Amino acid sequence: MSNIDTSPNALANVNLRQVGRNKPRNDAPTKVYGRAVYAGDFHMEGMLFAKVLHSDRASANIRGVDTAAAKALPGVHSVLTADDLPASNAVMTDMPGQVGGGTKNTKQPILAKDRVRFHGEPIALVAAETYELAQKALELIVVDFEDTKGVYDAFEAQEPDAPNVFGDDNIVAAYKIRKGDVDKGFAEADYVLENTFSSQYQEQAFLEPEAAVAWVDEHDILNIRSSTQVVEHFRAVADALGLPHNRVHLVAPYVGGGFGGKEVMTIEVWLALLAMDSQRPVKLVQTRENSFISHGPRHPFTFTHKTGVTKDGKITAMKITATSDAGAYAKLSPYILLYATVGATGPYRVDNLWVDSTSAATNNLPTCAYRGFGTMQANTACEAQMEELAKLIGMDSLELRRKNFIKTGDPNTTGQIIRSSVWSDQCATKALAALGDRPENTDTLVHGHGLACYQQSYGRIRWMKDTSECWVGLEVDGTVIVRCSVTDIGAGQMSALAQITGEILGVPMSEIAVYFGDGHVNPLGGTSTASRALYMTGKATEMAATKVRDNLLTCMAEHFGVLPSELDLADGEVFVLDDPDRSMSVNDMAKYCAARGIHRHALEIYRAPPSEGLDPETGQGEVFPDFTYGAHAASVAVDTDTGEVTVIKSIGAHDVGQAINLRAVEGQIEGSALMGQGFALSEELLLEQGVLKNGSFSEYILPTSMDVPDIQSIVLESRSGLGPFGSKGIGEPVFAPVAASIVNAIADAIGTRIHDLPLTPEKVLAAIHAKNASEN
Amino acid sequence: MLPAFELSQPKTLPEALKVLAAGRGLPLAGGTVLFPDLRGGKEKGREFIDLSGIDELRYITHEAKRITVGARTTIAEILRDPAMAGAAPALHKAVDNFAGTMVRNAATVGGNLCCGSPSADTVPALLTLDAEVELTRASGSRTVPLDGYYLDYKKTVKKPDELLTSVFWAPAEPGSAHLFFKLARRKGDAVTVTGVSVMIAKTDGKCSTARIALSSVAPTVFRAHSAEEMLKGQKLTPDLIERAAQAATDQSSPIDDNRSSANYRRLTTQALVCRLLSQAWHQAS
Ligand SMILES: Cc1cc2nc3c(=O)[nH]c(=O)nc-3n(C[C@H](O)[C@H](O)[C@H](O)COP(=O)(O)OP(=O)(O)OC[C@H]3O[C@@H](n4cnc5c(N)ncnc54)[C@H](O)[C@@H]3O)c2cc1C
Repeated sequence: MSNIDTSPNALANVNLRQVGRNKPRNDAPTKVYGRAVYAGDFHMEGMLFAKVLHSDRASANIRGVDTAAAKALPGVHSVLTADDLPASNAVMTDMPGQVGGGTKNTKQPILAKDRVRFHGEPIALVAAETYELAQKALELIVVDFEDTKGVYDAFEAQEPDAPNVFGDDNIVAAYKIRKGDVDKGFAEADYVLENTFSSQYQEQAFLEPEAAVAWVDEHDILNIRSSTQVVEHFRAVADALGLPHNRVHLVAPYVGGGFGGKEVMTIEVWLALLAMDSQRPVKLVQTRENSFISHGPRHPFTFTHKTGVTKDGKITAMKITATSDAGAYAKLSPYILLYATVGATGPYRVDNLWVDSTSAATNNLPTCAYRGFGTMQANTACEAQMEELAKLIGMDSLELRRKNFIKTGDPNTTGQIIRSSVWSDQCATKALAALGDRPENTDTLVHGHGLACYQQSYGRIRWMKDTSECWVGLEVDGTVIVRCSVTDIGAGQMSALAQITGEILGVPMSEIAVYFGDGHVNPLGGTSTASRALYMTGKATEMAATKVRDNLLTCMAEHFGVLPSELDLADGEVFVLDDPDRSMSVNDMAKYCAARGIHRHALEIYRAPPSEGLDPETGQGEVFPDFTYGAHAASVAVDTDTGEVTVIKSIGAHDVGQAINLRAVEGQIEGSALMGQGFALSEELLLEQGVLKNGSFSEYILPTSMDVPDIQSIVLESRSGLGPFGSKGIGEPVFAPVAASIVNAIADAIGTRIHDLPLTPEKVLAAIHAKNASEN
Repeated sequence: MLPAFELSQPKTLPEALKVLAAGRGLPLAGGTVLFPDLRGGKEKGREFIDLSGIDELRYITHEAKRITVGARTTIAEILRDPAMAGAAPALHKAVDNFAGTMVRNAATVGGNLCCGSPSADTVPALLTLDAEVELTRASGSRTVPLDGYYLDYKKTVKKPDELLTSVFWAPAEPGSAHLFFKLARRKGDAVTVTGVSVMIAKTDGKCSTARIALSSVAPTVFRAHSAEEMLKGQKLTPDLIERAAQAATDQSSPIDDNRSSANYRRLTTQALVCRLLSQAWHQAS
């Protein structure tokens, strides 16, 4: 269910015919009928099957790897260890995609050589006639390990005597923000509140595990068809193998979910090496168990918050520290820490601010990108602190938020002026209202309401100089082709481009074919990450379609004897606005223009607004293109005998700028409601001395379809975003406040707060008992 | 990866028993335990006897004195049986809280009883119904009370050449109360953290029969006999209920695992036995 609200001062005369409507996505039929071909469905003649030997220990020296027996097994075609690789044995794990600068050049060994640093680190690769044979070969490989002392805690890792994980020390990244005068701010406060909040590992748990097929073709091009969010990984594969970039062709078919877990390279290099070595096509679909250790889960974070507030609710100062566990390799940890740093104050304006953040290396699983990317963890802590502040000063928590919301024109944590609309208040008010009345408590069931707001960026860090390209063309029969390498990871990325093009060229979506996910045949659109796909590729598409439209209308204006601005395109026709009977079908228009040599195609590039980094001492500067704002409200029931929490209502209210496809927006809100619920209540990777203990869906507790609460989506449209038609990015933003709202609802229900996530029944019960004990 | 295995597909019970007698394999019912175990390397057997073709094991009969469920009956079939909610309310609740739709359509009651899991959800409900199971081998059948069927973790009195062919019990006495509670980490497809089933019958304002069964808090599902004894012939007061729950909890021997701690299992056993006993006491007439 959903309703739309458009700003009274929205753009005048916007007459949208397709954008914003509930169009069935053009990838829906193929997926519903099971025709869509995913990476793992792909089969080739003579194909081999791969298996990877993952380390089963977290910190050890490798004294030797004996592969003789594995190699001798009939049907085994390739067995590779670090000794067989190019000397560098390194693959880029840094920000991938269309980045023109500003990265940190982080790398990771392709295969462990002398040492393993985490549970799951790959040691050897095998390709054989069948998976069974490959598995048998793996079991014949003997690794001579010598366990070494590891470090498994982000704080212990910073101690001087901690074992060194990689690099010169265990500090992977550190940032600070120094703004205003915190001492003065605290002096002006009537109350000062200090709290520590921590959160756990979360697994992306995409339905489709890592899957790919690689082969060398008749032109000596290395082809990889992979389940990835990023086709630009062809560059990293080429660099790792010492090949020119134009010899590696990476194609992403439909992807069965990414959530950040397929942002950094996963299995592509392994398959590339095996395909080159065996000169046969090689396929790998990771098992679920191995998938758990094949990509980086969400960073556990610890935040300390010290906040000064006046008795009428004005925040006077914030002092925040943030610490994340980067695990055994850097991957994207520095960027995720930066997001957490910028997002430390949530959607609030804080003029006296001091933030210190650190990401530390440990021998735990390397952590990486996951929807929310540090901002979500920071926001969850900040929104808990806001509730506690409200309680402390005896003010309604929404009232407290209202007094501190950042507004359009205000500077944020890094001093960047917010330019788009900020509808935090409207969103929060609507979300809370939709919760309705609180049911009566019983002897064993207590109810609670919770709210959380947020500020989450969309678009990539600006000093990376992100770009996106798209090509739009009108065929002579009036059909339209869109070409853009955007990967479709299930959110409707491809479909949105058709809808945007259809709006601008006045043709129905059924007349538009989108070629996507192939970076050598299509213009490079950049990654489906950072809530940037719609913003960036949508913008490039809007520009290209508009260019084609301009060319066509200029030609048609002459034909009708009017100005181009007096023409419009809709429902497959070009027509004179004031006299719609004077019209021509798009089909005839295409032929008419073709006969006159009119350029019916356009390739456009959209460049995100650039910036040049932060002042390292003050943390001031411009980091992100723009931000999305909104709120989530939840109601819960808590069983006081068991600590079990049932989420009853889960309501997302977000200013999405402009919905391109309303159903797709609702899909994001509904999916995030469950993902956030899992983070709040049950999902947690359990590590013991770095070794994963619950790498299965029986023990890693995801919410199921039977755990779905009553979810409502409230969509607001300020049309103030940087994306096409004023849209904002929403993939991550709608997720950012969910867990915090549930956590706050539980605190409301049981009258006490639990500071470390997830809020398992066990922790909730212990909190209830502790509260009862303290009251008796 | 699922290893290769051999499968025989008998069409009748005698055929299946013959294969079983020859020591050629393990019964395969819904496969919802067997296949995950096979894939995870926990099941070492490579020969299986598919029971899916044996329709004579797939039935539910309601007679005046006896309700019988064939071993090959699925959890979904028990859930859909229109008379089950009345005949065995706790069992009905257990199958309603069992796994999710997909697994319920495949999983069988026979498999649930035979897998010997301490968290098997139909078992506590069937224990509080005082159910019995029929074990059949080529040479004949025997019946065994379910209370006593489980010896230890995943060990039962059933011999390798025996098939569990049915489970049966007497219909719930009029006025008796039958409750089941599954505490788990989520609502769908969850392994029980603490499971409690309770049956109370009342005569002349006193408890005439009390049965309490607990799952997931010991190597097997078990009846809390000493707690039951405390209640028999008594009026159930909050204090008595509390002490009986304590006795039941004392009989448990839970462990720490990735789903919860032993301590949490003890706390919730105590709280849920209390809750279910007092609800049952108020319901029974
Ligand atoms: C996702 C998921 C969720 C689950 N949720 C639950 C749940 O909520 N509650 C619960 O209790 N269980 C649950 N289970 C476990 C499982 O589904 C049940 O135990 C089920 O009843 C097993 O029945 P089956 O027919 O699938 O047994 P199978 O896997 O076919 O067999 C299990 C064992 O019993 C033996 N066996 C089967 N039938 C007979 C027979 N007639 N005679 C002799 N031996 C026999 C087999 O040889 C095997 O050793 C779940 C499993 C999965 C995969």
